[in-house]
Amino acid sequence: MATFELYRRSTIGMCLTETLDEMVQNGTLSPELAIQVLVQFDKSMTEALESQVKSKVTIKGHLHTYRFCDNVWTFILQDAVFKNEECQENVGRVKIVACDSKLLTQ
Amino acid sequence: MAISSMTSTVYVSVIEDVINKVRDEFVNNGGPGESVLNELQGIWEMKMMQAGVVTGPIERSTAPKQTSGAPAPTPPVHDLNVPYEGTEEYETPTAEILFPPTPLQTPIQTPLPGMGDNSMYNIPTGPTEYPAAQDGGGATDMKSGRPPSYMPPPSPWMQQRPPLSVDVNVAYVEGRDEGDRGNPQQPLTQDFFMMSSGKRKREDFPSQYHTSGYIPQQDGAGDPAPEVFEVEVSQGSNSIKGHDILTKVNREIFPQVTGSYVRIPQLDGPIPDPYDDVLSTPNIYNYQGVVNEDYNIVNTPAPNDIQAGTPAVGIQNDVGDDDDDEPPLNENDDDELDDVDQGEELNTQHLVLAQFDKVTRTKSKWKCTLKDGIMHINNKDILFNKATGEFEF
Repeated sequence: MATFELYRRSTIGMCLTETLDEMVQNGTLSPELAIQVLVQFDKSMTEALESQVKSKVTIKGHLHTYRFCDNVWTFILQDAVFKNEECQENVGRVKIVACDSKLLTQ
Repeated sequence: MAISSMTSTVYVSVIEDVINKVRDEFVNNGGPGESVLNELQGIWEMKMMQAGVVTGPIERSTAPKQTSGAPAPTPPVHDLNVPYEGTEEYETPTAEILFPPTPLQTPIQTPLPGMGDNSMYNIPTGPTEYPAAQDGGGATDMKSGRPPSYMPPPSPWMQQRPPLSVDVNVAYVEGRDEGDRGNPQQPLTQDFFMMSSGKRKREDFPSQYHTSGYIPQQDGAGDPAPEVFEVEVSQGSNSIKGHDILTKVNREIFPQVTGSYVRIPQLDGPIPDPYDDVLSTPNIYNYQGVVNEDYNIVNTPAPNDIQAGTPAVGIQNDVGDDDDDEPPLNENDDDELDDVDQGEELNTQHLVLAQFDKVTRTKSKWKCTLKDGIMHINNKDILFNKATGEFEF
């Protein structure tokens, strides 16, 4: 199953990465096993987003930068507005990184 | 609140899922065991709570139920309960700090998972080998040419050298085997370069090296050494071991090259204690700088390679480090340039990680549909199943 390492940059992914780093440096964990854990995280996070999350969001804003490279879209928005069912968030500057969803289904 | 609790719930379930699915790897096949797995989960959850993306109460209710058999989740909960108020305060800084250091700047498909991580994890061990190796040459030099006070016990660490790292050991073994055949160091050099060969062209240098005898100072004993050394090898190839070679070479070299030799100690000097060097990258970098100059003018590496297997390691390391530094620099540069956020707003980096279904543009109007996203906005983590974006460029 293909997965993205994309979500490792999220808060939960960073917490895991930090934890694994510490444990590898302590010698309590082998690098190989740490990588296995990360790969499992890629899978679990992707599955959880698919199966457990139902909310929908709309994003509007001024597109400051766009880039499409290696099947990854990167947008930098200015004065962006994020809305979902419950709340609205205004952000002066936000970066969006998006991988091609079709790559997962191949 | 509903959203944050939703995010927290999903995060907790992901933690549980990951922990459960890697349990086999930890428990079986000589893995570190369940206790380490529990430690992993505990630290992970604690970091999540400190980041403020997992709420304490939910963590408690969920974790014990799902991991009923595992005692580990409990300790972190205790920690969290008391300082929970404080956690909110820490929330902001922690979350902000989390993002800048992200090791994986560019999302990659998992099929190549090991790449980045491996390098990260290997870094600590790599440098370790090198300083020791370099010192091997340097130490010997000091021994014969300079007051021994700099290098108190050259011999002890030389004896310790073999156990340093697995890779090095293998390389040494190969080098020795080939050395027994009468052609000791060259093969060894090739082996080492193979590892980093794709990245740089320094492998090419050794061959050219013989033609030019320039810049002996920076190599230390290396430059003058090769000729003498080769002779030595051919004569005494039977007893080829790294230490023997070093000593023999030094004995022969030093008398002849005393003048240049005096300069050498200075360059090696910054590395008085091999083990300290292991931990201190600055020395390595300095040394690299010197090596770089050598490459531009003449090929220095060869002498070391010829002289002894150990110097070759050091060179290779330098090469590896440079390589690692420079090619990645492209990505790093991009990220830094990209992350205008970091420059302009260090305090808050807002990030959306998602998959795109479609991205279209009509004149300056961009529309995109995203799915399965994690947003980190205003220090909140928000998950979405679908998102539609309308941007104006």
